[in-house]
Amino acid sequence: MVDQTAPAGPIGEPVVVGEDVWKVYGAGDTEVAALRGINVRILRGEILAVMGPSGCGKTTFLNCFSGLDEITRGTVSVEGTNIHTMPDARKSEYRARRTGFVFQSYNLLPILTAEENVEMPLLIAGRPAKEARTQAQEILGQMGLGDRLEHRPAELSGGQQQRVSLARALVARPAIVWADEPTGNLDAEGSREVTHLLRDLNRRFQQTMVVVTHDAEVAAACDRTLRMRDGQFVP
Amino acid sequence: MTALSVVSGLLLLLAIVAGITAVLAARHRLGFRIAMRNVRRGRARTALLIAGLLVGTTIVSGSLVVGDTIQQLIVHYTYIGAGYVDEAIHGTAPTGGPRVIPWAVYNAIVAGVRGYGPILAVTPEIIGTAAAYDPASHTPETALNLIGVNASASRALGEFVDDNGTVVAGPSATGVLIDDQTAAALNASAGDTLVIYGVHSVPLRVQGIVQENDRGAFITAGLTPGNLFVTVATAQTIENITGGVTYLAITNTGSQSAGAAASPGVAAYLNSTFKTLLATNGLTVTTPLETGLESAQTSAQSLLTLFLALGLFSILAGAMLIVGIFVMLAQERKGEMGMLRAIGMRRRELVYTYYFEGVAYSAGSALAGTFVGVGVGYVLVILAGSLLKSEGIPPNVFLQSFTVTGASLVIAYVVGFLLTLITVVVASTRASRLNIVRAIRDVPEPRPPIRTYTVLAYLGGLLVVLGLLGYARTHAGTDDIAYPIITGALVILGAGLIAARFVRNRWAFTGAGAALVVWAGVEPLHPYLFGSAHATSIFNLFVEGILMVGGLLMVLLFNADRLVAGLRRAFGPAARSSAVVRIGTDYPARQPGRTAVSLTIFALVVFTMIATATAGTTVQGSLNDSIRTQTGGYTFFGYSATPMPELWSEVEANATLAPQFENAVPLYFGSVDVDVAGYASNPYTDQLYAANVSASAPSNFYDTEGFSFVATQNGMTAAAVFQELQSDPHAAVLDESYSNTADAFSTSSASHPKVTVGEQIEITTLVGQHPTNLTVIGLLSESILTGVWVDPATAVALGYTNQSAYLLTAKPGVATSIADQDLKRAFFATGLVLYNLPALMAQSIATTEGFVGLLEIFVGLGLGVGIAAMGIFALRAVVERRRQIGMLRATGFTQGMVLRSLVLEYSFVTLTGIAVGVGLGLLVIYNLSISPQAVTDGVQQFVAPWATVVEVAVIAYLLVLAAIAVPSVRAARLPPAEAVRATE
Repeated sequence: MVDQTAPAGPIGEPVVVGEDVWKVYGAGDTEVAALRGINVRILRGEILAVMGPSGCGKTTFLNCFSGLDEITRGTVSVEGTNIHTMPDARKSEYRARRTGFVFQSYNLLPILTAEENVEMPLLIAGRPAKEARTQAQEILGQMGLGDRLEHRPAELSGGQQQRVSLARALVARPAIVWADEPTGNLDAEGSREVTHLLRDLNRRFQQTMVVVTHDAEVAAACDRTLRMRDGQFVP
Repeated sequence: MTALSVVSGLLLLLAIVAGITAVLAARHRLGFRIAMRNVRRGRARTALLIAGLLVGTTIVSGSLVVGDTIQQLIVHYTYIGAGYVDEAIHGTAPTGGPRVIPWAVYNAIVAGVRGYGPILAVTPEIIGTAAAYDPASHTPETALNLIGVNASASRALGEFVDDNGTVVAGPSATGVLIDDQTAAALNASAGDTLVIYGVHSVPLRVQGIVQENDRGAFITAGLTPGNLFVTVATAQTIENITGGVTYLAITNTGSQSAGAAASPGVAAYLNSTFKTLLATNGLTVTTPLETGLESAQTSAQSLLTLFLALGLFSILAGAMLIVGIFVMLAQERKGEMGMLRAIGMRRRELVYTYYFEGVAYSAGSALAGTFVGVGVGYVLVILAGSLLKSEGIPPNVFLQSFTVTGASLVIAYVVGFLLTLITVVVASTRASRLNIVRAIRDVPEPRPPIRTYTVLAYLGGLLVVLGLLGYARTHAGTDDIAYPIITGALVILGAGLIAARFVRNRWAFTGAGAALVVWAGVEPLHPYLFGSAHATSIFNLFVEGILMVGGLLMVLLFNADRLVAGLRRAFGPAARSSAVVRIGTDYPARQPGRTAVSLTIFALVVFTMIATATAGTTVQGSLNDSIRTQTGGYTFFGYSATPMPELWSEVEANATLAPQFENAVPLYFGSVDVDVAGYASNPYTDQLYAANVSASAPSNFYDTEGFSFVATQNGMTAAAVFQELQSDPHAAVLDESYSNTADAFSTSSASHPKVTVGEQIEITTLVGQHPTNLTVIGLLSESILTGVWVDPATAVALGYTNQSAYLLTAKPGVATSIADQDLKRAFFATGLVLYNLPALMAQSIATTEGFVGLLEIFVGLGLGVGIAAMGIFALRAVVERRRQIGMLRATGFTQGMVLRSLVLEYSFVTLTGIAVGVGLGLLVIYNLSISPQAVTDGVQQFVAPWATVVEVAVIAYLLVLAAIAVPSVRAARLPPAEAVRATE
C-alpha cells in the first residue's frame, strides 16, 4: 500500500512515465486514434501544462495517464507501477490515495455542502469522520472559503466552486493532481485566482500537477508546457 | 345512469379530446413533429414508459372485469335458481309454514290470465322440505327441498336433463327425480329406492339424476340443499296437504331475460286483477327472477366499488409515477428544451410538444392497460374460484362466468387515457417552466422567491375558509365521516401554507404534517368531535389513508436530514466515516422533493396491502372469537318432527354415539309472534326456546350452556340471568338481533325490532293466542339461535309442550362431520334436521379468508407500481448523476462502492416507505376496530397480521432490489472518464 500523505519522493525524478501510449476509439471504418504512440515523462513536483487545439487528445491524455480510462497499447507507469495492469478496485484505491482531479465544470456533488464535498476523498480513503471534517475546514480556510463551509454548490459562484473543487483534489495530499481545463468556466479574474492557487499549492506541497488547458496565461504559470496535435506531442 | 349513457358520454369526451388534439397538431406542426420523433427515437424507452403509464388503466380495467364477472356469476345462479318462474304466488300460514292455495284459487287465476299475452303458463307446485334415506348406501340427508310438480309442467318450466345430456321425463307417481346435489348427499344412483320423510314417509324409486340446469336447480341454484322432484299428488301425501298446492309458478312468454323484463308489468297486472282473491287467501305476488337480477346488479356494483376504492391508492400511486416519469424525461431533455427555447420556441409550444407526446403515450398505455387489466381480471377470477370454494360454488363456474363487456373496455380505455393524459399535461406544464440558460447549462433551479410563498399563503387562506365552512356543515349529522375529516384537513393544509410564508418550510410543514396524522389517525378524536352518528364507508379508509400517509411523509421529508444524521449517530463512528453511507443516505435526505414521490408511491402501496390484510385478520379474529359466543360451546343445534325429550339417554344407549358426545339438551321449541312497543311492523315472527329446569346434568341446559350477554338487567351475571329465567315465568332472554349493537352474524337489520333490558315485550302464538307479557332480563351475544328464551312453564302455557329442538356438544377430538352423519342416521326416523354450528362459522370464516385473500392479491398489484417507480427512478438517477458518479469514481469510489451506495439509497427509501405503510396500515384498521361502528360490524378485537407484514416487507424489498439491480450495476460500470465529461 502506498503512503497516504507523502506526495513527494526526490524532487525531479520521473513520477509518470508513458511509453508508446495509444488510445484508439471505435473499430474499422470508425476507428479514431486519439493518442498516437505518446512517450512522456512527468517529473515529481513539477507543474506541467498540456496545450493544444480542440480534439487534439488533451483530455484523453489526462484520462489515460491518470487511470480514469484504459489505453489501447503501450505502458503508463505512475510511481513505478503500471496502472493499466491494476484491477479496477486497486485502481480506485490508487486514485483515492495518490491522485486528485479538478475538472472544468467542477463536478461537485450538489447535495453536499462545500466542506462535505471536500471531506469526501478522505472518507473514501478511510479516514475518520472527525479528522476528515477538520482537514476539510482547514484547507477551505486556506483557500479563503472559511465562511462558505455550509454552503451547497448552487449557493457558490463559479470561482468559489472551482476553489472547492481544488480543495477536494488537494485535501488528501495526493502525489499527482490532474486538472482538466480548471479555468475553462471562469472569467478572467476567477481564472487568475485559480491559476495563482495552483501555483501556490504546488510550491507549498510540492505536488506534481498536470494541467490541461487552452489558456496561455495558465500555461505561462506552469514549469513546463507540452503541446499536442493529432494525438501526439509536438515541439 | 345506465352503462350506455356512461359509455356514450365517455366516447364523446374522447372525441372532443381527439378533435382538440388534431386542431392543435395542425396549428403546431413543429411541436407535433418533435413529439412524434421523441416517441419513436427509443423503442425500448417508449415500451418502458408505456409499461409505467398503464398501471392506472390496468387497475380500472381489472376492477371492471371482476365486476362484470361477478355480476355474470350471480346472474347465472339467479337464472338457474329462478328457472322459468318469473312471478310466484304464495303465502305463509299462521303456523309459519306455507299456506295452501286451494285448487279453486288456482283455477280462478288460470281463467283470469287466459288471453293475457305476457303470461305463458301458471304451474301449480308444492314447495316444502323433506328428509330422505337411501337404504342402498345407508346414507340419510335430513334437509332437502321437496318440489311437487307434474310432468306436464315441462312445457313452461323447461326440461329436466340428466348428466348425459338426455332429456328426462318429469316425475312419475312412484318415482322421484333428484338433482346432482341430492345424489351426492345421499350417495344415490338411478334405480335406488329412497324413503322420503315428511309428515308421512313414502318409498320412491330414483327415476333419474338431473343436471343443475334452470329446471333441476330450481330455488337453490344447484347449491345446498338439494332437490327432490315428485308429482304434486306424491308431495301432497308427504306434506299431508289436501285440496291444493302451496306455490303457483308463473312463466312469462319469451326468453328468461324477456320474461324478467316483463315481470314488473305482469306482477302489477296480477296484483290489480286478483286483488281481492289474493287478499282473502293471504297470498302475495313475488318476482323471483327480476328481483334476483336486480340483486345481482347491486352485488356486482358493490364489489366493483370496493375493488375500485382499494385500487384508488394504486391509481394515485400510478399518477405520481407518471409525474415522475415525465419529470425524468424533462430532466433528460433539459438541454434540448433549453435550446428549443433559445432558438425561439415559445413556452406554450413546448407544453404542446409534451402534450402531443403525452397523447401518444396515453393512447398506447391506455390500450395496453385495458387489455392487461382484462388479463389481471382473468387471473383474479381463477383465484376467486379456488379462494371462495367454501361457498360451495364449483371453481370452474367462476371461469365459465368470466365476462368482459364492451362497455367495460370502453370505460377502462377512456378513463385510463384521460387519467394518464391529465397527469401528463400537469407534469408537462411544470417541466416546460424552465429558465433557458439554466436548462442549457444544467444549473439547478433556485429556491422559489418570497412572492411564491405569498401566493401560497393566499391559497392557504382560501383553503382555511373553505375548510371551516365545510366543517361547519359536515361535522354533525349522519353523512359519511370522511367529509368532516376532509374539511378539517383542508384547514390544516391551509394553515401550513400560510405558516410557510412566515416561518421556515421545515417548521410549517412539519407542524401541518403532524397535525394531519393526529387529525386522521387518532380515532378517539372523531366520536368526540363529530359524534357517533356518522356513516362510514370504504371511502373513509381511503381518505384517512391518504391524509395519514401524506402527513407522516411531510414530517419525514422536511426532517429527513435530521433523521439521517440521527441514524448515522445511532450506528456509530463507522457509519459516520463511511463515504458509502454518506452518499447513500444524503441523496434521499437532501432531495426531499424527489424522495417524496418515490416514498409516497411506496408508502401508499404498502399501506393498502397492510390495511387490507389487517382488516382481514381483524375480521377473522373476531369471527374466531365469535364461535364460542355464538354457539355457547355447543356443537350441534337440531330439531325433529318427533320430539325426543330423552335424547341424552338415547345417545348414551347408542354404542356409536355415546363415545362422541358429552351432552344432549332438549328444548321446548316453536314459533311465536313478538310484539315490541314502538316497532312499526308488529308482530315480528320468531322462534321460542325453553329448557327443562329439572333435567339431569348432561341434559340440563343451565349446567351445560356457555352463552354470554351483551346486556343484562341490573348488570346481572350470565348465571344469574339464567337462574332468573328458570324461576320467573315473566322473564325473557332475547338473541342479539334485538340489541342495538347487533353484530355481523346477526340477521338483524333496520327492520328488526330492537329492545333494551328491562323493557316489556308481548308474545303470542302465530294465531294470536295466549298473549303473554315478558320483561327482557338479558340480551345474548349470540344470534345463530334467533328468538326468545323463556321459562318452560311459559312455553307450555303457549302450547309448546314438546321438546323437539336440541343442543348437543361433541367430545373434544371428535370429527364433527362423522358425528353429524352418525346422529342423523341414528335418529333419522324422527326427521332430525341438524346444524353443525362450528362448521357454519368455519364456512363463514373461510369465505371471509378467501375474499380477503382475493382483495390482497388485487391490492398487491399496486406493488407493481411501487417496484416500477423504484426501477424507473433508479434509472433516472443514473442518467442525472452520471457526472457525479464519474467524479466519485475519479475520487476513488470503487464499482462496489457505487453499487452499495445506490442499494443503500433505495433501501433507505423503500424501508422508510414500508415502515410508514405498515405503521399506518395497522393504525387505520386499529382505528376502525375501536370506532363506534366496529361493534355493529361485529369487530371485537384488533389482530395484526404479523406474518403477512413480514412477507410483504421482505417481498417488496427484494423486488425493489431486483428492480434497481440493472440501473445500479449500470451506474457502477460507468467508465469514469466518460462519465465525468458527460456534459463537457
